[in-house]
Amino acid sequence: MMENTQYLYTTIVLLAICTAICRAGYLVFGHYITLPDGVRSALRYAPLAALTGIVIPELLPWHPIEGPQVDLRLLAAAIAVGVFLWTRNGFLLIVSGMLALWVSRWAFGL
Amino acid sequence: MRDGFRAVSPGLIALAIWGVVTGVAMVKAGLTEPQAIAMSLLVYAGSAQLTALPLMAAGAPIWLIFAAGIIVNLRFLIFGAALHPFFRDLPWRKRLFLGYLSVDVSFIVFMPRFADALKKGTVEQHWFFIGTILPAWIVWQTSSMLGIALGAIVPVSWSLEFGAVLALMAMMLPHITSRPVLISVVASALTAWLTQLWPLRLGLLAAVLVGIIAGMWAERRLQLRQSQSKARE
Repeated sequence: MMENTQYLYTTIVLLAICTAICRAGYLVFGHYITLPDGVRSALRYAPLAALTGIVIPELLPWHPIEGPQVDLRLLAAAIAVGVFLWTRNGFLLIVSGMLALWVSRWAFGL
Repeated sequence: MRDGFRAVSPGLIALAIWGVVTGVAMVKAGLTEPQAIAMSLLVYAGSAQLTALPLMAAGAPIWLIFAAGIIVNLRFLIFGAALHPFFRDLPWRKRLFLGYLSVDVSFIVFMPRFADALKKGTVEQHWFFIGTILPAWIVWQTSSMLGIALGAIVPVSWSLEFGAVLALMAMMLPHITSRPVLISVVASALTAWLTQLWPLRLGLLAAVLVGIIAGMWAERRLQLRQSQSKARE
């Protein structure tokens, strides 16, 4: 699936730089930076929005020709969210989501 | 240092599960074992790794993956601002090293304990911090390696890569605590759904922008409504 070695290693190194910038950036250059309040409150929404932007196409993929697709992963995710809202436990979310996927696939014979 | 270890140890269990899931996800996304090991050792950031994997599998442009990595790591910039007074007197090399290795759990146990300390930047505080980041690193890397080994054994039909999506959800949900945040997430979800056929996965950027705008809009409306009801009283 992923065969372009150079692409992959470049990406990995750049992501390592990401880590360094975000985690150590303020500690190293903090003497010179002040984040304005407006930027600070805008930044609060960015991480969740980015995670949503990653998760949604995985759960509700869109086929180039056939359009929106729905499969059992959406059902499994909904069950997992329900379990999380009930138990407030992230580990149970992962376990119940996986189980729901396997059981529903077996039940629907997919 | 021992105090730091004691404080961080409950968080280490969560970190271990997380590490296994990320390890499996890297292999299942199509990385070879050496690539997955390099990613774990160099990037050392679960959320950024899990975010990058689907983008890498789709062959998204490198700058976009970089931007996505920065965005999901933004919280550390805010943590860094809070930690800065404690480390400002150290040489920059040490600040770079400690910052690079700092993780959520270390911040979460460090700040409540020392936020009100009269003297910031003591040797005790530094060792406490090191006592949190060192075990976190060891646990994370060990569990990731275990996940990488597991990922190579478990058949594709188990769809273990779905665990990575669930893990991202487990990370998101506890933070949806207010109405503006919920509105922001719903807006970015809609955007992400509608824009996913855009080239180069640019829909991700659109989702982030719409999420920020929606969140700030909702926040302002909430403030406006609160000040109006206060004025009425």
